Amino acid sequence: MGTISSALSIATGALDADQEGLNVVANNVANANTPGYTEEKPDWQENAPITVGKVQVGDGVTETGATSQRDRVLERRLDQQQQLASASSTRLTALNDIQALFTPDSGSSSSTAGDIGSDITSFFDSFSSLETNATNNALREQVLSSASTLAGDISGAASSLNAQSAAIDQEASGVASQVNSLTSAIAQLNLEIESSSPDADAGTLEDQRQLDLSKLSQLIGINQVTTENNGLSITTTWGQLLVSEGQCMQLTTGTVNGVTDFFLGGTDITLQLAAGGGQLGGYLTARDVDIPGALASLDQLAYSISTSVNAQNNSGTDLTGATGTVANPLNIFNEPAQVAGSAAAMKVTMTDPSQIAAAAAGGGTGDNSNAVAMANLASGLIVNGQTTINYYSNFVSTLGATVSEVQTENTAQNASVTQLQTENNALSSVNLNDEASAMSMLENSYQAASQVFTLLNTIMAAALNLGDQTAVA
Amino acid sequence: MLVEAQPIGESRVAGERGLGEKMRVDPTYISNMVGSLDQTQSSEQQLSAELSSGISITSLSQNPVGAGENVLLLNQIQQDDSFTRSSNLVTGQLQVADSALGSVVTELTQAISLATSANNGTMNAGDVKSIANQISGVLNEVQSLANTSYEGQFIFAGGKTAAAPFSTSTATTPAVTSYGGDDDVNYLELPNGQKIELNVPGDKIFLGAGTNSVFGALNALVADYSTGTVNTGQAANDTAALNTALNYVSQQRVTIDNSITQLTAASGAVTNEQTQLTAAQTDLMQADIPTISTQLSQAETQQTALEDVIAELESASNNLFMKLRG
Repeated sequence: MGTISSALSIATGALDADQEGLNVVANNVANANTPGYTEEKPDWQENAPITVGKVQVGDGVTETGATSQRDRVLERRLDQQQQLASASSTRLTALNDIQALFTPDSGSSSSTAGDIGSDITSFFDSFSSLETNATNNALREQVLSSASTLAGDISGAASSLNAQSAAIDQEASGVASQVNSLTSAIAQLNLEIESSSPDADAGTLEDQRQLDLSKLSQLIGINQVTTENNGLSITTTWGQLLVSEGQCMQLTTGTVNGVTDFFLGGTDITLQLAAGGGQLGGYLTARDVDIPGALASLDQLAYSISTSVNAQNNSGTDLTGATGTVANPLNIFNEPAQVAGSAAAMKVTMTDPSQIAAAAAGGGTGDNSNAVAMANLASGLIVNGQTTINYYSNFVSTLGATVSEVQTENTAQNASVTQLQTENNALSSVNLNDEASAMSMLENSYQAASQVFTLLNTIMAAALNLGDQTAVA
Repeated sequence: MLVEAQPIGESRVAGERGLGEKMRVDPTYISNMVGSLDQTQSSEQQLSAELSSGISITSLSQNPVGAGENVLLLNQIQQDDSFTRSSNLVTGQLQVADSALGSVVTELTQAISLATSANNGTMNAGDVKSIANQISGVLNEVQSLANTSYEGQFIFAGGKTAAAPFSTSTATTPAVTSYGGDDDVNYLELPNGQKIELNVPGDKIFLGAGTNSVFGALNALVADYSTGTVNTGQAANDTAALNTALNYVSQQRVTIDNSITQLTAASGAVTNEQTQLTAAQTDLMQADIPTISTQLSQAETQQTALEDVIAELESASNNLFMKLRG
């Protein structure tokens, strides 16, 4: 059978519980804008009933703490998508810088400066002009000056690409130390979580660990594996261990072939990181795939133009009647020894325009047949089975298509991140409206409980005084 | 109003905790709207850039295929432009050659009429010698025409344009005019691969085989008349040879005339092609002003709408705390 004092104890318990609940609400409101904070809900538990005889009587409520509103599956999906999106947006930034070097020529006369396509055409056209009068010095000067413009623009683009690659390399190596500080923080949090709440959500500690994971996901591609006692193991996307519960492996950097490579426990994992995602994946893809690709195309173009034009010039007779020999070649461009590096090194070495061999070998100086042959190199399949201008046209199309593809990919990934973020926010963010309504409800029940308490107090006094209202208040 | 504006979401099981069910709503939706606002502004920026530059493809990724096509079109346009300039340069040389050969024809016609008058047997020795002198003058004149230069280059010297190709040695009788040039023919190649002959080597015009040799006939006639006595048969043969040689020169002149005609026709064709290519390239690269203006105006409308919505949401007391306070 219930007693007045047990009813009083139920009312006191309710007051305590409501107060705890109000604390949780206050904490939610206080952290409404804290990054990584997940909304907490008070946990209520009905006290075990008391059985007296055959009668069961309720024994009130206890507030047993608060639970963070978290969906780990959703958080992991968000992290994974974030890794992809941040890789593609880093790569896109680099690609935009690359394509800015090859801005399409609008065709107006002022815009042709710096356009390699126009340079190629002008260079071969200068030989067509030389056909009209093979001995004319002004036309010969024109050949050398358009050759210089072509070589200057190709080598300028190549050195810009090299500089960009060096800058990206530096950025990428800076990511390693950020990764290390995050992985050690996660390892530390693992230990704390394992000791404090091995079988339940760790609340604030879990919030911090999740925030670090989300930051780590922006930097590199990772996989997460939950271990016993609420610990966490983290590997790279390709399975190299970064964090194992309380242990973390340091990512180190070293220079290999002039670029920064990344090591984990002595193993070079640069390739895996490049394919893994995150900012680092984007940087490494731009550094090791996109920029070398563009450079290789320019190198091939520079190599083919230089070697073909030099060979043709050496096979003719110049204005002084001389023909190029191995010992004294009549080279217009510096002769590249190999394809790699040809673009950056491309320059005009000929200074005397009379060395341009417009005449065929053994022909008179007025002969123009070698100039015709040089001009015909423009339509010759001299670069990987293509004409120079087709090769350049394909190069800009391919580059543009790559940029456009990554752009599309990035837009889709960002949309997906936004959607997952919205879903996650809906669950885990502090919604002030909800807090206001919860607070209002708790306030009401607190007031009700205190009313119950006051009434019980009056009843108790009446009982103690046996009806005499004045003895005990 | 706000609750109604949200789509009905999945309700979460929170009832057992005693706080009622709630709809899943992202409370940070304003930041998403600001994201849309940023996107709208970035597209406004892009459209304004296109409007102000007048160019629709400002980066390769905007239209990769178009950018590649543009390279090829510009290449063709530039080639055509270069050919037009080359064609102007060679037209001068071809006209000089044509006019020199025209003068040669006039000179030779005069020589033939001199020889014909000497051959009719009515002249005395002095007159015949005078004819010899006059024909010798014609010879010198023709030789100097054959050594015509254009911009410092001897145009009838084949490839050896640095030196005058023709010289006459009087060591023998008749004198011998020899050719120091070569048989080189220069061509100008059109963008379409067609070749136009730029010169005719001098020996083909003036030192043709047999009776086609202009200088051979002239030197023979000078020798025929220089003694004052005329060997009528020999002189008649030599006169006939000069006549043949004159026709031969006219035939060679046709080559030059053909080149001029071809060049004019080609220039016209190239100019036409250039006009068409330029139109195609302009179509490809020029911004379509009406479309861009429309897009810009749409983006502006969208921006205003977004700003209004954000302002409205901000000004409405969008959380219950404000209401509870009152």
